[in-house]
Amino acid sequence: MKQSLFAMMGVAAAAMMISGCATTPAVREVALDRAPITSKIEPQDVRRTVEKMAESLLSAPGVKEATGGARPVLDIEPLKNRTTQHVDMVSITDSLRSQLLRSGMFRFVDKSTSGTDIEFMDSQAQLGLTDQKKAIKPGQQSAAQMYLTGSLTEIKNQVGRTVDQYYKFSMILKDLRSGELVWTDEREIRKESVKPVMGF
Amino acid sequence: MNKVKGLLAAVALTAGLSTLVGCMETAGTVVTTDHATGSTLVLEDSTRLRDQVQVLRVNYDEINGLKRVHVTLASTKHKQLRVQYRIAWFDANGMELDPDSKTYRDLILEGRDAVTVTGVANSAAAVSSKLRVRDAAVAGY
Repeated sequence: MKQSLFAMMGVAAAAMMISGCATTPAVREVALDRAPITSKIEPQDVRRTVEKMAESLLSAPGVKEATGGARPVLDIEPLKNRTTQHVDMVSITDSLRSQLLRSGMFRFVDKSTSGTDIEFMDSQAQLGLTDQKKAIKPGQQSAAQMYLTGSLTEIKNQVGRTVDQYYKFSMILKDLRSGELVWTDEREIRKESVKPVMGF
Repeated sequence: MNKVKGLLAAVALTAGLSTLVGCMETAGTVVTTDHATGSTLVLEDSTRLRDQVQVLRVNYDEINGLKRVHVTLASTKHKQLRVQYRIAWFDANGMELDPDSKTYRDLILEGRDAVTVTGVANSAAAVSSKLRVRDAAVAGY
């Protein structure tokens, strides 16, 4: 009788240890280039796309030709997301701009922060705190000669439990004066996932 | 006799478990190219990968004032192989340039096929490159 009681207590203690007492999830840092865990766009897809696009743009012969050897002033229009999932397209273009700036081949302006520029200039001109000889006046900023933009598209097919997901990043560099496309490139990603027989 | 059998079973079980969970080998083949001197060094740290993928050719050039490297990898197997590669760039002092932006990329090698991978430095300060190839299967892919 006593023995069976001890055995039951042992089983209960073991079950508690296995299933119950952990209240915090197990968290660990993983490599940035990890294996895919979903068929959606994942951080490693974005990183690879940005790297590929930057390398392609930096090594495109037409870019040097169009700029005549000078460092052109670029702006970036965030990529258009034509997929059904949420992807932060501004973050992708920010990463691409960082890589291109580091190359020293391009200069960048950012029209998305123009409102903040005006606020600074207004405060320098009106608050009376700034030496007016040193205050930055409007009308002196560089003009973008070219701009980068693009899109992300997807095609999804499902046959039985298999989902085939295809994504395409397309990017262009357009000369604002001539309206010509100086560079264009694409990166394709295709993923397949198989839904489990049981489960939701 | 039974004790010895039990001990052997425990050792075998431990060895099997550690093979399954722990010792994933991510060492691979490293191709270092000095673009100033033209010297190339190939290091094969994984015997498994060395038997599957060979470095056939290393070429380098310059485009738009930036260094570029082309490395041709050939499969020695008849089946399809999945590997990953990453090309890092270093300045004259041996410091890695922009290490966070260089990612591992997938490469599928068909049976007995050769594929050339290319990397472009994103800075004019780059003088040497390092291609690292790893087996996608053992890297958790």
